[in-house]
Amino acid sequence: MNALQEPDLGTPAPQACADGVSPPLTLRIDGIEVVVPSGTSVMRAAALAGVAIPRLCATDCLQAVGACRLCLVEIEGRKGYPASCTTPVEAGMAVRTRSPRLAELRRNVMELTLSDHPLDCLTCAANGDCELQDMAAAVGLREVRFGLSGANHLAEPRDDSNPYFGYDPAKCIVCYRCVRACEEQQGSFAITAAGRGFAARIVAGASSFLESECVSCGACVKVCPTATLIERTAVAAGSVERVVETTCAYCGVGCGFRAELDGPPDAPTIVRMTPSKRGAANLGHACVKGRFAWGYATHKDRVTKPMIRDRIADPWREVSWDEALRHAAGEFRRIQRQHGRDAVGAIVSSRCTNEEDYLVQKLVRAAFGNNNVDTCARVCHSPTGYGLGQTLGTSAGTQTFASIAHADVIMVIGANPGAAHPVFASRLKRRVRAGARLIVIDPRAIDLVDAPHVRADAHLQLRPGTNVAVLTALAHVIVTEGLMDEAFVAARCERQSFVDWHNFVARSENSPEALAEASGVPAAQVRAAARLYATGGNAAIYYGLGVTEHAQGSTAVIAIANLAMATGNLGREGVGVNPLRGQNNVQGSCDMGGFPHELPGYRHVSDAATRACFERAWGVELPPTPGLRIPNMFDAALDGSFRGLYCQGEDPAQSDPDIGHVKAALAAMECVVVQDLFLNETARFAHVFLPGSSFLEKDGTFTNAERRISRVRRVMPPLAGMADWQVTMALSEALGYPMNYGHPSEIMDEIARLTPTFAGVGYDKLERLGSLQWPCNDAAPEGTPTMHVGGFPSRPDGKGRFMITQYVPSDEQATRKYPLLLTTGRVLAQYNVGAQTRRTANLRFHAEDRLEIHPHDAGERGIADGDWVGLESRAGATELRAEVTARVQPGVVYTTFHFPESGANIVTTDSSDWATDCPEYKVTAVQVSRRTRPSAPAERVP
Amino acid sequence: MSGTVYVPADAAALALGADAVAEAISREARRRGMDVCIVRNGSRGLFWIEPLVEVATSSGRIAYGPVAAADVPALFAAGLLDGCEHPLRLGRIDELPYLARQRRIVMNRVGIVDPGALDDYLAHGGGRGLDRARRLQPADIVAAVIDSGLRGRGGAAFPAGIKWQTVLAAPAGQKYIVCNADEGDSGTYSDRMLMEGDPFGLIEGMAIAGLAVGATKGYIYVRSEYPHASARLAATVAVAADWLRDQAVDFTIEVRKGAGSYVCGEETAMLESIEGRRGLVRAKPPLPAIAGLFGQPTVINNVVTLASVPAILAEGAAGCRDHGVGRSRGTLPFQLAGNIKYGGLVEVPFGHSLRELLHDFGGGSRTGRPLRAVQVGGPLGAYLSEAEFDTPLDYEAFAAIGASLGHGGIVAFDDSVDMARQARYALAFCAAESCGKCTPCRIGAVRGVELMDQLRAGDGSRIELLRSLCDTMTHGSLCAMGAMTPNPVLSALDHFPEDFA
Amino acid sequence: MNPVKLIRMANRIGGFFAAMPDREQAIGDVASHIARTWEPRMIRDLRAHMVNHGAAGLSDIVRAALARLPR
Repeated sequence: MNALQEPDLGTPAPQACADGVSPPLTLRIDGIEVVVPSGTSVMRAAALAGVAIPRLCATDCLQAVGACRLCLVEIEGRKGYPASCTTPVEAGMAVRTRSPRLAELRRNVMELTLSDHPLDCLTCAANGDCELQDMAAAVGLREVRFGLSGANHLAEPRDDSNPYFGYDPAKCIVCYRCVRACEEQQGSFAITAAGRGFAARIVAGASSFLESECVSCGACVKVCPTATLIERTAVAAGSVERVVETTCAYCGVGCGFRAELDGPPDAPTIVRMTPSKRGAANLGHACVKGRFAWGYATHKDRVTKPMIRDRIADPWREVSWDEALRHAAGEFRRIQRQHGRDAVGAIVSSRCTNEEDYLVQKLVRAAFGNNNVDTCARVCHSPTGYGLGQTLGTSAGTQTFASIAHADVIMVIGANPGAAHPVFASRLKRRVRAGARLIVIDPRAIDLVDAPHVRADAHLQLRPGTNVAVLTALAHVIVTEGLMDEAFVAARCERQSFVDWHNFVARSENSPEALAEASGVPAAQVRAAARLYATGGNAAIYYGLGVTEHAQGSTAVIAIANLAMATGNLGREGVGVNPLRGQNNVQGSCDMGGFPHELPGYRHVSDAATRACFERAWGVELPPTPGLRIPNMFDAALDGSFRGLYCQGEDPAQSDPDIGHVKAALAAMECVVVQDLFLNETARFAHVFLPGSSFLEKDGTFTNAERRISRVRRVMPPLAGMADWQVTMALSEALGYPMNYGHPSEIMDEIARLTPTFAGVGYDKLERLGSLQWPCNDAAPEGTPTMHVGGFPSRPDGKGRFMITQYVPSDEQATRKYPLLLTTGRVLAQYNVGAQTRRTANLRFHAEDRLEIHPHDAGERGIADGDWVGLESRAGATELRAEVTARVQPGVVYTTFHFPESGANIVTTDSSDWATDCPEYKVTAVQVSRRTRPSAPAERVP
Repeated sequence: MSGTVYVPADAAALALGADAVAEAISREARRRGMDVCIVRNGSRGLFWIEPLVEVATSSGRIAYGPVAAADVPALFAAGLLDGCEHPLRLGRIDELPYLARQRRIVMNRVGIVDPGALDDYLAHGGGRGLDRARRLQPADIVAAVIDSGLRGRGGAAFPAGIKWQTVLAAPAGQKYIVCNADEGDSGTYSDRMLMEGDPFGLIEGMAIAGLAVGATKGYIYVRSEYPHASARLAATVAVAADWLRDQAVDFTIEVRKGAGSYVCGEETAMLESIEGRRGLVRAKPPLPAIAGLFGQPTVINNVVTLASVPAILAEGAAGCRDHGVGRSRGTLPFQLAGNIKYGGLVEVPFGHSLRELLHDFGGGSRTGRPLRAVQVGGPLGAYLSEAEFDTPLDYEAFAAIGASLGHGGIVAFDDSVDMARQARYALAFCAAESCGKCTPCRIGAVRGVELMDQLRAGDGSRIELLRSLCDTMTHGSLCAMGAMTPNPVLSALDHFPEDFA
Repeated sequence: MNPVKLIRMANRIGGFFAAMPDREQAIGDVASHIARTWEPRMIRDLRAHMVNHGAAGLSDIVRAALARLPR
């Protein structure tokens, strides 16, 4: 095995027994004494003892099947030659892995395998990285006595339908690894074998990978021991020379990746990105985005030279870093002189590293001297921060992803993990296939509701905007039917807040029957779901932006926390309240003081002691009042009191609601500095463009939805010469507030010094442990996988707080003029505004946003599938094509917001969450009408 | 004038025209104004006299055969309903030596009862085993089966009671009884005859197994090539559901049809198939008794094994244990097929010699030429030469000569057989039926066929590689399919080397 | 800043806390929420609007809360 490959013990670790203990057993392998847990395979035990047994079908991320028959061993006292991968160890067993007889059998089995395999190793893309080749060498095969004229599959046609990997059945040895990976790891069941015996061949769907259920997660490609399934990039590139472990920069799952590289460090070629088994969030699994859609990082559209212009109507002028930064700093200072200290601000990016986010907020607070810093979490999970902070005391999810393996009931609210958090979705589906019950609360019939191998026990198909009605009705049932965990509530929660809440939810107006008309969910369904959640064992809630992005987003988060407390579903594995974070570092950008009212660690700016601590460290005086939130910045821009913006890694002119309003605000500013990979929509309004660096170009850390801090490592030098953290430092220096960090680890050291929940975090420890879940400090030096185990430490007296959740209808209501409710979401292949994924072959999977509309509503409007339709709200109007589907209910339409040309956010309004101003993307009253467009629809598809 | 006439509805009898005979009898009776009750029984298993018509008379059931539809008017004219003389009259059925010399225990109702009639079943001793089992503790039922010495009749001959014991001891919320009715071995038909001729016996056996191990759900996996058995089972399961419920036995049965795969008779592939997946063999462990169907503890036995159980409970373990030799206890319904004069079902205790079956029952070859080779135990069984015909029919004695009794199928060949061709056939069969999971079977069988072709084309040097391949398949294969395919090949090579020269 | 929007925002904050049984506590919570999350010019502009145009459109609880905010 090549030293760059991940270690592979052949078979997975045994699952713990029902009582959680796997008693260790002692056995001898080739005379070496080994102690392993019961249930361990002989192969794994041997690997742990340093004894490698040849194998082809076994790999430690998949259950053993004993197909290749290469791993035969001899066991004293047993007849025959059992396969070591499928034979569990027994106490006292004596195993022999080497003997002349075994060598003969293995050689002969390998000979059969190679008798149906092209002997073209020297020109094969897997040459040097091929397990078949390695094993043929290991068993000492020298000839194929059968000759090469026998029946074979060498002429089978390739399947090159997938844009990222090829399938060459001629090289296939039918080890079933790909089939198992698709089933066990991904849960798509897209790959199977067709035919039997010699005719057994691996097939995807009925015709090709592209036409199949395949979601291009790449699991099959990763486990393929030959070049049968291989990345196109690996075919194109040379062999792997080095590997850099890093963290994916797409969603909030935070998958560990291995960047496999060829070429010199200052100009490497990425051979491929493969998910790392060491990644605690993904355990070696990935999705189409992280695994394959990284080509944007070197896309020709990348801007690598700083640019400035005086007016946004002027053309861009390439300038030196120095000139760009001096210009930007000069403008910010000029604006502050003319319009006051508070007339400028910044947006930190949930796509950037913790260290970079920390620096930007530090720049705002220390160099600008105000609190006008906000994060794009404003428009996604700010209600999570507020709602969980108010109730549980900590603005974060309570569990690890691994916790779901212990859940008996899983409630998914306003989230579509199959599309937005696919690697977590695979874990969820695996648990559901293993018997956990599933409740889905969503206006749409998302995949989890009814897909092959997964079906929800309940789907509460509510009307958009009525989460709080449904959640409060669930609480009503739990309270009035006596389904609470009284002991938990008595021991762990504030008495008075509980009594108030109890009295509130018990009111008849909060019953499922009373709220059914508003929510559209039959009362019986709500009652059944409440009973299942409260009494079905460990119950875990997973929720997404379908909860937060509402006028009552924070209220809904609070309602979720209330449910978990009332039923005692907190503080252990298998339960909890779990926000599925949309972006790679949403959690981190909030943790790092990205909000205008909080310093790092969620400490309010009004807290004098906290301010004093930062003032000492930073050598400045800090303002005690909150700064402007993103929507407030735009409002203030329109009234002239806010004129300068430093916008790092965000594109509000596409992603924020009511784009007309956003654009007007941007246009009203005097200095907009955009720092990004590409000239995005916001850059149209910018005066300074600072080239950003992709996650491959810098060091740092991301914090995922489980509070897991993982390292991002530099794979290649920044294309523009500077990483984002260096740019922020330079800008700060130009502003007259120099920062001196030689490496992002020094920034993390400062964060740790100043933030109690991060006190124990450091790059050395991250190197050693792989990742850390905060809080990480003296009390929890290796981090905190499960929160709130013994209490709620950030709450007064450590007690959880119930809060009353009165349902208030959204301002966005269906009217005669706008009779439909629009809700928005994402698809698997595209990511948010699409700046990255639209610049990859993911366009093959999803090339345009479409408007999902129910056949009833479509019929009333004469709309057929694929027709162009106009979409109009009180905020604006746009056009896109319709998809007529019953996934949405009558009265509801749905679209994605990945393509600027369809402009979903032209239509969304300024309605927002009462507590955090998070926009109500999920509810917009609209009208839809059929359009006849002069251009043929096909012309618009890229 | 009235009477009861038995015309088998067994698939073998149907193939020989039994339906036309029954139709002719009905027509003739109508024509003569006679009230004839025609019972469509199972077959007695004497195929050279099928369609075998029996008439109930005061002196017992009188047999006529083989009867063609055209014979019927003459039979009536001769006094069929009174059992009168006719050239086709064979006398009292139970006095036919072929039957009289057998010891029918598990097949004792086949050919006698109306397989669709529960009351007929009960009238012939059916139900008593279940009755007794209901009054026993599960462990006592298991103990009786262990005590009987009953071994699995599907081929592997694993002690049934020990398997049940394992399932009984395995804690689980749901356990299953799975009846393997995927009787795919060439020349075998005892399971089919039992399902068609005495299906309640199988149901009762499964219900007893359910009581013994705590399983409330049973599956019968029947091969698609058995449409008559399948239809019979479907009808029987419906009737039996009420019968079991009336006796407060919580046990339901579902019939699942295979799809033409031989390897789905391998127990783990069968489980995969029942679960709705491709019929791929599973690696063992875990044993199905610990983690079988849907991952739950599962008893898997074949039809004859399960149908043997009611008698053990009803008559006591001794009824089985006291027959046979060595560790092979009880009787086995052997099935004579191939080039044999009197092909049919012969249920005798273990211990008779192969020669007795071939000559005393079988009457030698059908062609009249000397018998040269016999394949025992299905397509994966060894070919035996005349020198081994005196081997006692006993699992251990057969194992000692590298052969197996398997499911009791015996296929005879006369001296015109080309054993190299037979060896090639064994490999071709494996190539066609391999599930495709493990390398030695998936690729080895195909290479074996190619080697045989080279050999038969005169390249004698390939014998060494053929033997090496057989070694790899025997010791490297995942399941018995690949591991046993070399049996017929190597035995042909060893016993009939002249055919490979 | 746009007073219509500020009034709507304030009223929605009031709407959440208005459901609480303890009115005094609720008024305090509204005041605290605004103080802790609103940038001072938002509060200033809302107050300026009230001075110039009265408190029309503001809910009672918000009015009471605003009165408690420090000048």
